[in-house]
Amino acid sequence: MTADPMLQLQGLRKSYGGKTALRGLDLTVNVNEIFALLGPTGAGKSSTLLASAGLVDLDAGRVRLAGRDVTDADPGSRDVAIVFEGFNLLPVLDVKDNIAFALRSPAFRETEDEIKLRVGRTAELLRISHLLDRDVDTLSGGERQRVAIARALVRRPVMFLLDEPLSALDLKLREGLRAELRQIHRQYSSTMLYATHDYHGAISIADRVGIIDGGVMQQAGTIDEIYRLPASVLVGKLIGSPSMAFFQATVEGGQVVVKGAEQRLPIEGFGTVTSSPGGVLLGVWPEDIEVGPAESVGASTGKIYAVDNRGFERAIQVETTGGSFRKVVPLSMPFMQGDACSFRIPEGAGFLFDAESGKRVSQAGEGGR
Amino acid sequence: MTNSRTSTVDLATRWLVLALLVVYTIYNVGPIFWLVLSSFKSRMDFFTMPPKLFFTPDLSGYQAVFGVGAAKDSASAVGVFDSLVNSIIVSVAGTSLAVFFGTLAGYVCSRFNFVGKGDFMFFVLSTRMLPPVAVLVFYHLMFARLGLADTRFGLVLVSIFANVGLATWIMKGFFDGVPREVEQIAIVNGYTRMYAFIKLVLPMVKGGIAATAGFCFIFAWNEFAFASILTTTQAKTLPVKISAASGATGIEWTQICAAGVVLIIPVLIFFYLIRKHLLMGMTFGVLGRR
Repeated sequence: MTADPMLQLQGLRKSYGGKTALRGLDLTVNVNEIFALLGPTGAGKSSTLLASAGLVDLDAGRVRLAGRDVTDADPGSRDVAIVFEGFNLLPVLDVKDNIAFALRSPAFRETEDEIKLRVGRTAELLRISHLLDRDVDTLSGGERQRVAIARALVRRPVMFLLDEPLSALDLKLREGLRAELRQIHRQYSSTMLYATHDYHGAISIADRVGIIDGGVMQQAGTIDEIYRLPASVLVGKLIGSPSMAFFQATVEGGQVVVKGAEQRLPIEGFGTVTSSPGGVLLGVWPEDIEVGPAESVGASTGKIYAVDNRGFERAIQVETTGGSFRKVVPLSMPFMQGDACSFRIPEGAGFLFDAESGKRVSQAGEGGR
Repeated sequence: MTNSRTSTVDLATRWLVLALLVVYTIYNVGPIFWLVLSSFKSRMDFFTMPPKLFFTPDLSGYQAVFGVGAAKDSASAVGVFDSLVNSIIVSVAGTSLAVFFGTLAGYVCSRFNFVGKGDFMFFVLSTRMLPPVAVLVFYHLMFARLGLADTRFGLVLVSIFANVGLATWIMKGFFDGVPREVEQIAIVNGYTRMYAFIKLVLPMVKGGIAATAGFCFIFAWNEFAFASILTTTQAKTLPVKISAASGATGIEWTQICAAGVVLIIPVLIFFYLIRKHLLMGMTFGVLGRR
C-alpha cells in the first residue's frame, strides 16, 4: 500500500472527567481494508471510533481522514458512517426513513427519486426489503442491525466505523452478518474500522488487527505478524483461543528455566535477548505446547485442572508450578479432571517477556507460523 | 384434605379485605362526596340536620365561581370568578415556562459536562427543599419594593421559581434515558445538534414532558403559601380566595364548596391525561425509555 492511508490517528488523548480513555493512541487504517480494533471492555475502542467520527473533543492528537487533517472539522463534513452496538435506529422514524436519514440531511441531500432508488437497492442487498414500512420497534435484534448497516451503506461514506455492531446478537446471527459484511466489503471496496472484544470476530473479518488496551495501541498488524512476534504479554493474553500460555521463568547459564519444571530451554532458541533479564515470563502459543501422559521422558509435569468438552475436541486447563494454561486437545486424549500429565515446550517455540513491564525481550519469531 | 376449611378461611379473608376496602374508600371519597353535594345546596339546606341527600339543587355557588347569572353582581360574589381566572393564568403560564426552561436545562445537564455541574444540580434541587414559609417575609418585602406585589406576573414568577427545579430534574431523568447515539447518529449524518434535539430527542421524551407539566401544574394550581402572602385583592388565586371567602352576608359555604369542586377538576383531568406517563414521571424516567 503506497497510497495515503484512509485514516491516521496520531497520539490521541482523551479523558472524561477523571477517567482516561485514550493515552496517546496511534492507528493507521489503509484504503479498502477492514481493520479490527480488538481489546477488552474499557480499552478505548469506542473512544477511538468516536474520535475518528469527530464526536468527542480530543485533549490532544491529530486525526487525518482521506488525506486531510480533520481534527477540528465538523463530524458532518467527515463523511463517515457509524454503526453502534445497541442503539442505532431512531424510534421516531420508520425503517425506510431511518435508512434514508442521511440522504435527507443538509450535508448529504439527494433527490427523493434517488433516495427511493438507493434505499430500495440497499434494502435488497441486506435482505430487508420486506421491512421497509415497519416501525423500528417491531424489529428483532438482527433486523435492527441490518437496517443500521443499510443506513451506513446507503450513503457510500469514505469510511465505516463499526462499534461492536454484532456483539448484541446471538452467535449464528453474528456469524451470518459478519460474512455479509465481508461480502459487502468485497463488492463495494470500502474501508472499515471494526471495534470488537471478540477475538474470533476480529480475525475472521479483518485484514489487519490492532490490539488496544489501556487507551494505547499495543500492536497492529496482520494476524500472522502478531502471532509470529507478539509485542507484549497483553497482546498474548488477547490473541488466540485459548490465549497464550505464560510461565514464570529465569535465565540461568544460557538456559531458560521454567519455575518448577524439569525442562531446560537453550536461550539461543529465542534469538537475541535484549537486556539481561532476571525474572522473565515465557510465553508460548498453546498450539505449540506438547501435552502427554504423565512421566513422559524429557517433559515437565502438570495437573489437569479442568476439562471442557467441545464435542469433537476438548479444552483442558493444565496447572503447573510456573503457571497454568489452556489448550485444545483431540477427544482421543483421555484426560480426566485431576489427572497428572506432562507438557513439553519445543525449542524455538516461545517468547520471553520482561516480567515487570510485560514487553517482549526476545527477538526471534516463530519461523513456522 | 382440609379443602372445605381452607376455602372457609379464604372466604373470610376475602370478606375482611373487602370490608376494609369499603371503609377505606368511604374514608377517601366521603369528603369529596360531601363537598360535591354541599356545593349544590342552598344556604338553608346546607345547615339542615340531619344532612339532606335529596334537595333542590342550587347553582348559585357555581354561578358565582364562573361569574354568570344572578350571583354575578351580588356583593358576596365579588372576586371568586376573578380568582379562578387568576389561578388559571398563573398556573398555565407558570407551568409552561417552568417546563420550557426545565426541559432546556434538563437537556444540558443530561448531555454536557461543565464546571460546577454537580453544584448546579444541587442548587436547582435545593430550591425545592426550602419551606416556603421560611422566606415568605423576604419575598413580601422584595415584591413590594419591585412593584410585583398583588400582580399575576409576580405570581407567575414565583410559580416558575418554585417549579423549574423540579422540572429540570425530572426532564434530566428522561433525557438520560435517551441514548446519546441519537444525537451522534444525526451529527455524523450531517444534521445539527439542534435538529437532533428538536426533531429526534424531544419526540422521544414527549411523555416525560407531559408528566413534568402535570406535576408542575398541580403544584402551581395548589400553591397557597406564596399566593396568600403576596396578594391582597387583585391577584388572589382560587385557593387563597376560598380560604377567605366571606362576603357581606357572612361565610358563603356554597360558594366555597363549589370553588373546591372546581379546584379539584383540573387536577383530575390532568392526572387522567398523563396517567400513562405517571409511573415513569414519578421514577424520574429511570424505568424505561419509551
